[in-house]
Amino acid sequence: MIEIGLGHYLTLAAIIFFLGVVGIFLNRKNVIVILMSIELILLAVNINLISFSIFSDDIVGQIFTMITLTVAAAEAAIGLAIIVVFYRNKGSIRVEDIHGMKG
Amino acid sequence: MEYILLFLPLLGSILGYLGKSIKFFFSEIITSLFISISAILSIIIFYKGINFNDYGNYKIFTWINSGDFVANWSINIDPLSSVMLVVVTLVSALVHVYSIGYMSRDPHKPRFMSYLSLFTFSMLALVVSDNFLQLFFGWEGVGLCSYLLIGFWYKKESANNAAIKAFIVNRVGDFGLAIGIFLIFYHLGTINFSEVFELIPMNIDKEIFFLGRELNFITVTCLFLFIGAMGKSAQFLLHTWLPDAMEGPTPVSALIHAATMVTAGVFLVVRCSPIFEYSQFALNLVAIVGMFTAVFAASVALVQNDIKKIIAYSTCSQLGYMFFSAGIGAYHVAIFHLFTHAFFKALLFLGSGSVIHAFKDEQDIRNMGGVWKKLPYTYLLMIIGTLALTGFPFLSGFYSKDAIIEFAYFKHSSVGNYALVIGIFTAFLTAIYSWRLILKTFHGPYNNKTLPIEKTHESPAIMIIPLVFLSFGAILAGYMFKEIFIGSHSYEFWRSSIFFLETTKHDHVPLWLLIITPVLVISAIPISYYYFIKNIHVVEGFKKTNEQLYKFLLNKWYIDELFDLIIVNPIKKLGLIFWKKGDRDIIDRFGPDGISKIIKSISNKAVQLQSGYIYDYAFVMLIGLSALITFLILN
Amino acid sequence: MLAHAFFFYFFSTIAIFSALMVITARSTINSVFFLILDFISVGCLFIMIGAEFLGMILLIVYVGAVAVLFLFVVMMLNVASQKQSWFSGKKATHIPSGLIVSILILLELLVIVGGWKYKEDILSSSSLIVNENISNTHQIGLVMYTDYILYFQMSGLILLLSMIGAILLTYRKREAVKTQSYINQISREPSTSIELKKVDFNKGVKVDD
Repeated sequence: MIEIGLGHYLTLAAIIFFLGVVGIFLNRKNVIVILMSIELILLAVNINLISFSIFSDDIVGQIFTMITLTVAAAEAAIGLAIIVVFYRNKGSIRVEDIHGMKG
Repeated sequence: MEYILLFLPLLGSILGYLGKSIKFFFSEIITSLFISISAILSIIIFYKGINFNDYGNYKIFTWINSGDFVANWSINIDPLSSVMLVVVTLVSALVHVYSIGYMSRDPHKPRFMSYLSLFTFSMLALVVSDNFLQLFFGWEGVGLCSYLLIGFWYKKESANNAAIKAFIVNRVGDFGLAIGIFLIFYHLGTINFSEVFELIPMNIDKEIFFLGRELNFITVTCLFLFIGAMGKSAQFLLHTWLPDAMEGPTPVSALIHAATMVTAGVFLVVRCSPIFEYSQFALNLVAIVGMFTAVFAASVALVQNDIKKIIAYSTCSQLGYMFFSAGIGAYHVAIFHLFTHAFFKALLFLGSGSVIHAFKDEQDIRNMGGVWKKLPYTYLLMIIGTLALTGFPFLSGFYSKDAIIEFAYFKHSSVGNYALVIGIFTAFLTAIYSWRLILKTFHGPYNNKTLPIEKTHESPAIMIIPLVFLSFGAILAGYMFKEIFIGSHSYEFWRSSIFFLETTKHDHVPLWLLIITPVLVISAIPISYYYFIKNIHVVEGFKKTNEQLYKFLLNKWYIDELFDLIIVNPIKKLGLIFWKKGDRDIIDRFGPDGISKIIKSISNKAVQLQSGYIYDYAFVMLIGLSALITFLILN
Repeated sequence: MLAHAFFFYFFSTIAIFSALMVITARSTINSVFFLILDFISVGCLFIMIGAEFLGMILLIVYVGAVAVLFLFVVMMLNVASQKQSWFSGKKATHIPSGLIVSILILLELLVIVGGWKYKEDILSSSSLIVNENISNTHQIGLVMYTDYILYFQMSGLILLLSMIGAILLTYRKREAVKTQSYINQISREPSTSIELKKVDFNKGVKVDD
């Protein structure tokens, strides 16, 4: 327990990943929480990558993490833009109100 | 010439039907003309056959040639078929001419004439066949035409039912015939008559495994062939269709159910005489069934009230005589009786048609009477027919029917003796009911309630002339042809078509046998006159005191009801069960209906998956992902 | 070692706790704030482990840009006032089944983690040697601008794309607002804009018409 190894970091990443996934389908509030959960998932992935990079002395992991970061930021921007436009049209972003694809 | 003979009726049938757009008269003329030409040709062929022994097999084309199974369409002219040709074409031609007059007010005449010609073609194909397949084709063809013609007035429901009944009961017989043909092909490898008849003597003791038992092959085959003959010729147990077949127009009854179709069964048995001769059991069965039918039908005919039904039962009875004759080995006598019977039975039917026509479509003899002065020609011709039927001395029926009785005596077997007694008794009954018909129809008080007696009139000439021709046949056919058919040299005449294992000695007929039948028959005239005209109260009293017996006979020995009980109703119930439970509840429920219900319910449930909410979709994705990971881990 | 372990547990506890609060906070603003806390703690974790460049990048980019963007949107869309709780009462019937499935995933992840043995001999490319003498940033720079220049440029393109996409999605023309059209301004001709008027003495000229 005292000796922090790779496994601990991976466990941490796993827990954060799990919380992010739970947040997607367990919340019934609004759509922004879904986007935040996606950010959590990506964060967990980043932790994984960094810890692997450090523990196996391979700098490529960190390069990849930067790329992932970029993509996460881009995707968050687009997602929020979509939410804004959707709010303009529908007037509500409560998850329970969005069921246009029903049936 | 033979080809023309066979195909002219077919051509006439087609043209007759197509000609209805031109003019009805055209189709009548064409069909009658063609059949008459065929009749003349058949007489020529018959004449050539008698005098010059000019027989032969004329092949038309090869129908089926598949491995061992070879079947040709051919015209086989030999003594038996030439006799049948004459009978069929002559009676058919006369019936055609008669129908022009009888059906003059019917709007569907071309169809009628066309069907008549088609029937004639099928019967000819049956008679001139040289293998079982063509015979079966003709067999089915006449069955079909019988259905079409009985149900000719298709708007009448009883006619439709009668037609279906005829067809189905025939079918039962056809099934037996088919099995017989199958047996022959399976064990002998061929279905051509000549080859089969050659192979039979080598297979006398052959045993086949049938329905779990070892049985003699020839006996089994003969039994099945005879079942087919029973169906077609309305013998006991498969006779139920014949009285109901009187729903058809009278020319139909005359042609089909007197002279031709019902004689196809007799023709089959005689044609297969080489096979039947080797199975004494089958021959005995044929004889017993024939005789029993004869007496059964005669007993029922005694009390019937419809004029056509009386004659129908009479036909049934005479066919019993023919089968009996075949059963005791006297095939040539059977054919002779067939020959003469065709004439006087057709005469009787057509004459009754004339009577019905005169009474404006009244068929119940209780509503007739006392018109012998108003319908002189019909009366005279009916008398001639009745005399011939009952076997009045020196008319044709006398020679043929008495020949049967004599041959029964000479057989000197138990079956023969039993049949002798029954035959004489049935002849007496025949006389009684025939004279009853004449007396009730033409003599006595006028009983018709709806038509005044002045309105009854004689039939037009076009209907009387065929009757005159038939009466010539009824009077003369017996005397003219008895030497050829059943005389001492007849065995040479029949040699190439009928097979006799041994020829019955027919030397000296004892005197008592010679005179007993004519005495009975002649005495029946005054007896029936007394009971039916002078003193009908005796009969009425007899009916009242023996009501059970009267009802038993009137309802045809309750055979129809018995069949209803044993066969028809169970099968109906079975069909109902199959429909409701089998078809609907099982097959439909697991098949189309069930599948559609399942699909509906599944898609109703599946629709709930598409809730429209994002988190549900994400949840489903997650489930899929976890399943995949679990699967990978466990592997 | 002890300090390492202490700081690790400290930061990771905060990270897990704030992740939990992100999804279960009552109001959305609180969720965003807890997200920021989560990012900060994980960033500290990164710095602690030796990847300081990425830790700072996390702070600058994630917290400074993405989380602020979240805040903007939250405030703009007026969702902060929604205060209902979704994990109690009739609305919470979906929680048990969902939790079961997600715990299943967690357990699977842990199984993978537990069953996997860290291999000592994973050394592939030469560019990976973590030289203790140069800083992490220097290391990343050495590799990224030489071997992985293409991916670097590509990520720039992705950002460009997202920028264009976001602007395109949310752009709308307002009818009631006056805007400038520079094209009209530039293509103005003297003949249509200037007029020479003869003015009478002491009379003046009417300009507004």
